[in-house]
Amino acid sequence: MSDEGQSIFSNRFLFLREWITNVKQSRRHLADFLFKAALTAIVVIIIAPFFLIVFQVASIGFWQVFGTGRGQGIEFFLTFPGVGLEGGIRNAIVGTVELVVLASAVGIPLSVLGAVYINEYARSGLVRNIVEFTSDVLAGIPSIVIGAFGFTFLASFLNLGMGVLAGSLTLAFMMIPTVLRTTQEALRAVPMSLREGSLALGATKWSTTWNVTMRAAFPGLVTGVLLAIGRIMGETAPLIFTAGNSLSVPTELVGSGSWVASIPYTIWAYISDPREYLQAKAHGAALGLMLMVLAVTVVANLISRKVTRRLV
Amino acid sequence: MSDSSETPNVAEASGEAQEGIDTGSPLAGFANRLLKPLRDFVKADTPGRIDKAGKAALILPTMASTLIIILILGFLWYEATPIFLDPSGGPGIIVSPTWDPNRNLYGIAIFIVGSFLCTGIAIGIAVPLGVSGAIFLSEFCPMRLRTLIKMIMEMMAAIPSIVYGLWAYVVMVPYIRNVMAPELQSNLLTSWMPWFQGSTNGLSLLAGGLILAIMLLPTVVTITSDALLTVPRTLREASLALGATQSETARKIVLSAALPGVGAAIVLSLGRAVGETMAILMVTGNSLQIPYTLFDTTYVMTSIITNQLGYAFVFPLWRSALFAVALILLIISICFTVVAKLFIRWGMKTRGYI
Repeated sequence: MSDEGQSIFSNRFLFLREWITNVKQSRRHLADFLFKAALTAIVVIIIAPFFLIVFQVASIGFWQVFGTGRGQGIEFFLTFPGVGLEGGIRNAIVGTVELVVLASAVGIPLSVLGAVYINEYARSGLVRNIVEFTSDVLAGIPSIVIGAFGFTFLASFLNLGMGVLAGSLTLAFMMIPTVLRTTQEALRAVPMSLREGSLALGATKWSTTWNVTMRAAFPGLVTGVLLAIGRIMGETAPLIFTAGNSLSVPTELVGSGSWVASIPYTIWAYISDPREYLQAKAHGAALGLMLMVLAVTVVANLISRKVTRRLV
Repeated sequence: MSDSSETPNVAEASGEAQEGIDTGSPLAGFANRLLKPLRDFVKADTPGRIDKAGKAALILPTMASTLIIILILGFLWYEATPIFLDPSGGPGIIVSPTWDPNRNLYGIAIFIVGSFLCTGIAIGIAVPLGVSGAIFLSEFCPMRLRTLIKMIMEMMAAIPSIVYGLWAYVVMVPYIRNVMAPELQSNLLTSWMPWFQGSTNGLSLLAGGLILAIMLLPTVVTITSDALLTVPRTLREASLALGATQSETARKIVLSAALPGVGAAIVLSLGRAVGETMAILMVTGNSLQIPYTLFDTTYVMTSIITNQLGYAFVFPLWRSALFAVALILLIISICFTVVAKLFIRWGMKTRGYI
């Protein structure tokens, strides 16, 4: 009995003994161990801020989202700010949804059709190179520069004025590169034999593209769209000069009634305000925004993981 | 029925007739080249027509991103020209340090210096940490843990910058004011260092650099670890077989083989760092001075646009100066993207893909 127990015990800690002999073997082995230990510590440092941020936002925002006071709990999502901004953030939530839906309605068709053209139709490398290069450049442009461009081009030059239309078009510009590149990747991953099979059956290129290729690439496309939506949902800088801010929901598409609030802008406005309860509301809004963005990102990752597993 | 059987015949007949005419004359040949797709379109049946029309209609969306870039360049250039042509402005504003719209002084050197210092601090922290983290992920990490950490990285990359800014403003700024600055300034080891001098209210260059570093880490780690994972297994095995330890293999073989990927990661994160707006805006204090210590407040390029464009749009010169800042930001970001693409190209070349 005792013998067996001892052997289990020594087996369990065998790796420890092995490891000590390894470390004692030479200076190089010690250096190897120290290097690995340092890297482990660094990884802990890298991921620590994520948990700190979630903890901070959740610990203060929790009572906004689940409390029972004025403008807390379900009221936080369903009421307008009202006098002294004591109510909820319904204006911001409705505004963000409107902006994202309008931006998607413009941005997704443009980028998906563009990706289809350069991947399925463009014969020369030139068109493809130009489009890939410009979309990469567009992805790298600072969001405030796109905001300033939206202000001068959409709001001033096209006379749209600040509001929901100018704001969502600006967001659509930011959406294009992400969706275009991920759709292109998804289309590239579709096996050539599928297309050839369809063409051999007498289908035109157009119907092959939409009925066969796009159907196979659809999960990848959804991933790209979700990632892009998650990104534009949290953008503040492009909206400051294009969407304005408002305490109610927009009533028209263009003009002074079209100013629209968004969750990120509301967080910014509330956190810069010295009033204590607005700071708490900012945390609540940040918690809501973070949950939405993280949910979208996780769903996108699950879809893409499932797809890669199926293809491999 | 009879209609559909006749139309193709008519189209064919007219096509033959035209082809018969154009022999010789170059002008007619050109016209024929233009008309041929049209004639093909008329000749085709319904699916064929959809096919041809659809192909033509796709060209406009394809050009969308190119068109947007051209529009952005054009409009920022158009808005920025007044300040470059005006006697009180000129190209000299890039090196002139005084920003005072009331006296028509539009020097933007402060913002450029502020941006570069912030970015420098952030890159100085994020690149060593991020590359080490990526080495851990790709070389030593168990598969399950790697999936978990990668997922956390993706979430970190997805958190909106305003939330980072909120956290930095509420947690990090008081921490720097109450803990970090007194500690560093009272401690014998660090108190003499010139870059730790000065009183602070927490809103500082250091806070900006730190939050920026935290925001950059996911990008650096993800791109670098992807680059490390594509290093062929045989290289690692050869190194281990020669008696190198795992850490020596990782540092000297794998890292140097993945150097182009690491370079691309650094340049891409540089671009993101220069263009980051909201988080930096909330924690750097935004005062018009060149920072001399880490605890001084500073003003970066993105912040000045965010803070003042709303007031400036009725003053042509002021507005134009802000758009000049935006134009400089745009040019910097384009340069970084080009350099990153060159790094990626170099990496593909070393693997023999091109």
